[in-house]
Amino acid sequence: MNFKFRGKRISGMAVVLPERELSFLEEMKNFNFPEARSLKLKEVMGYNKRRVVEPGCCVSDLAVHGLQQLFDRGLLKKEEIDAILLVTQTADHFMPSTSSLIQGRLGLKQDMLCLDLNLACAGFVIGLMQAFMLLEQESVKKVVLINGDVLSRKASPKDRNIYPLIGDAVSITVVERDASNATIHANLHMDGTRAETLIIPAGGMRMPSTPETAKLEDVGDNNLLAKDHVFMDGSAVFNFVQTEVPPMIESLLATAGTTVEHIDYFLCHQPNRFMLQKLADKMKIPYEKMPNNVVENYGNTGSATIPMVIALNFQERVQREKMRVCMAGFGGGLAWASMLMELGAMDFNTTIEYKQKS
Amino acid sequence: MNKQEFYQRLAEILDTEEVKPEDTLKQLDGWDSLAVLSVLALADSKYGASIKADEIRAVVTAADLANLVESKKK
Amino acid sequence: MKCVFKNKKISAVISVVPKEELRFDDEYPNYKLTEDKARRFKKMMSLDRHRIAPPEVCSSDLCQYGVEQLLAEGTIKKEEIGALLFISQTPDYFIPPTSNVLHGKLGLGLDVQCFDINQGCAGFPLGLMQAFMLLDLLPAGQKILLLNGDTCSKQLSNCNRISYPLAGDAGSVAIVERCAEENPIYMDVKHDGSRHTALMVPAGAYRMPSSPETMKLREKEEGVVQSLEHIHMDGPAVFNFTMSDIPAQIEDVLKFSGNTWESIQHYLLHQPNPFILKQMTEKMKLPPEKLPSNVVSIYGNCSSVSIPLNIALNCGDILLKESRRVLLSGFGTGLTWISMVMDLGPLQVCKIVDYQAAAK
Repeated sequence: MNFKFRGKRISGMAVVLPERELSFLEEMKNFNFPEARSLKLKEVMGYNKRRVVEPGCCVSDLAVHGLQQLFDRGLLKKEEIDAILLVTQTADHFMPSTSSLIQGRLGLKQDMLCLDLNLACAGFVIGLMQAFMLLEQESVKKVVLINGDVLSRKASPKDRNIYPLIGDAVSITVVERDASNATIHANLHMDGTRAETLIIPAGGMRMPSTPETAKLEDVGDNNLLAKDHVFMDGSAVFNFVQTEVPPMIESLLATAGTTVEHIDYFLCHQPNRFMLQKLADKMKIPYEKMPNNVVENYGNTGSATIPMVIALNFQERVQREKMRVCMAGFGGGLAWASMLMELGAMDFNTTIEYKQKS
Repeated sequence: MNKQEFYQRLAEILDTEEVKPEDTLKQLDGWDSLAVLSVLALADSKYGASIKADEIRAVVTAADLANLVESKKK
Repeated sequence: MKCVFKNKKISAVISVVPKEELRFDDEYPNYKLTEDKARRFKKMMSLDRHRIAPPEVCSSDLCQYGVEQLLAEGTIKKEEIGALLFISQTPDYFIPPTSNVLHGKLGLGLDVQCFDINQGCAGFPLGLMQAFMLLDLLPAGQKILLLNGDTCSKQLSNCNRISYPLAGDAGSVAIVERCAEENPIYMDVKHDGSRHTALMVPAGAYRMPSSPETMKLREKEEGVVQSLEHIHMDGPAVFNFTMSDIPAQIEDVLKFSGNTWESIQHYLLHQPNPFILKQMTEKMKLPPEKLPSNVVSIYGNCSSVSIPLNIALNCGDILLKESRRVLLSGFGTGLTWISMVMDLGPLQVCKIVDYQAAAK
């Protein structure tokens, strides 16, 4: 499905990082895996260090801290926020919605929209589309899109497919109308027949959590997971990315009447170093055009990886100049989405550290 | 506000013969969260009084309750 | 947040309820209620019966059945579906989103977007808002399936004498599409997260993960048994919310839409319980016939499906033939309150059906 948007821009962005940093070299001692093989995995996947939250820390904590910092620094005004879109798969509660909690904790106005969307790694691009849609309403002038997860809390320490990979973070993206009226192209696909590629089997209504669902089971290859843990079918994800993402981006570029050469950067979701390199190879995109350094610094931060790519690689530049970018998010759902837009010059792009109060 | 009438209405809510001003509400048989709801409704519809959740939780006797409703009465 | 939508309509609504009807008169011994107290409670809340889903049936199953009925009856064709919205606070999983699971089970195309939105009793008007906005992005002829569903009974103890008798499980499917007529729709959305403790589930998600401790049942007051994984309600806070914020919003939306109290033919509100609805009706000085309050007595409080049930139960026959000016208002957890005015009908389908589990 193709979409066109006009007259919208990202006016500012922030990423909020939990303080606690874990190192793969330390953690690999926990795996039932020979050290040489772990080191090889590190090299291939880009495992190095990642940020995780402390126990009990939630998405709303990171989001509230980040937004409060922006208010304090005069980068954002409370009363101007007309909508909060929270894209997360790790909500604080089943009831109420986490965006309502954020609104309440920050004392934002009642006359606004608070919306929680459950989306995985395609969630930044889809979240932007949602923000653009909302801005068509006359009463909506400024939308705050928050992407974030604390998924490390559901990763089994005995699962070397996922545990060393997951990073926690929240991104805040301010979206507004733009006088320039430049066209933004986007596309989106979903395939629910492969929904179980990324799943937490227990905890919802289909299989409530019990002492049984907390028990570790061998899911093959010496990885131990409970039904309460997040499970990812690594090879299914790899095949999916290699098969679906290149045609999606090609189709987007064709619809927009442009080519790889005319795009400054490809800002893709960062699943792991290997997958992204293979993707660049397949699409014949030079590595310099497709930054691939989020996982080795912060881990795979779900739908917040695209904001992380921007903060890590273009933080100064994006506040000074325009860049023609193609963003692509893909993963759980399965869902895959891409967007072509001019990014910058932003009013702000900042990195905020979150220190959990005891 | 006619307090006698109020105590009579309160007795109806609690499904009891009579409520005296000095009665401790928590000790009355019918005083539960449904009775609280009925009292809030009574205060609002018959006395134009809007009572907050923490205010009703703070009352001890029937007289306290009558005084609270009276203080909020429009 | 005020919104206006044009050239959009609801063309069909189907509600799906669990087949078995449970009667208060049979259940009250579970609640440690004396016959006398039970009689008083039954009278106060006009209790009679409700529908509770069996443990293995989720709200997505109820919604899926509704979609399958609409497809089977030819009310909608698969290729017409542009998006599927699932509004719930009782999803199948944390991950993946339930709308994606349904996408797979229903065999929908790769171009069909899916959204899971976390919302409770305000979820029908919120879902409509999302559907109306999305329609402007979709090609002509594409329609949206708005699914609302909750199984709140799974978030309550069946010994909770205050909440369980009022609980109801249900799912609904509304078809939302473009229309040639302008048909303006006016909506106001409000939130107040500072009062979120009025209606919440403390444990089970990430703030307080599930554990043997959170599953322990505690007696809040006599006969009110709950764990931290159950719905906690602050009765007085909810009462004050319904009596002041909702009438104020309704009055505001009437003005915003250029209507008067009299020009609305039906006030179709979320149905928390008949007692509160009667209070609200009196407060707004409305004739009771205009503001139905009978859904809970038959189906229980079905969260965001209350409004679709209300529509079918009280206006179903009329709306199959004609258009009526209605005010819809959903309010609850968040706290969230959303009211809207629109001309509703004529509808192709407007009914309530019993859920039939698929043969294995």
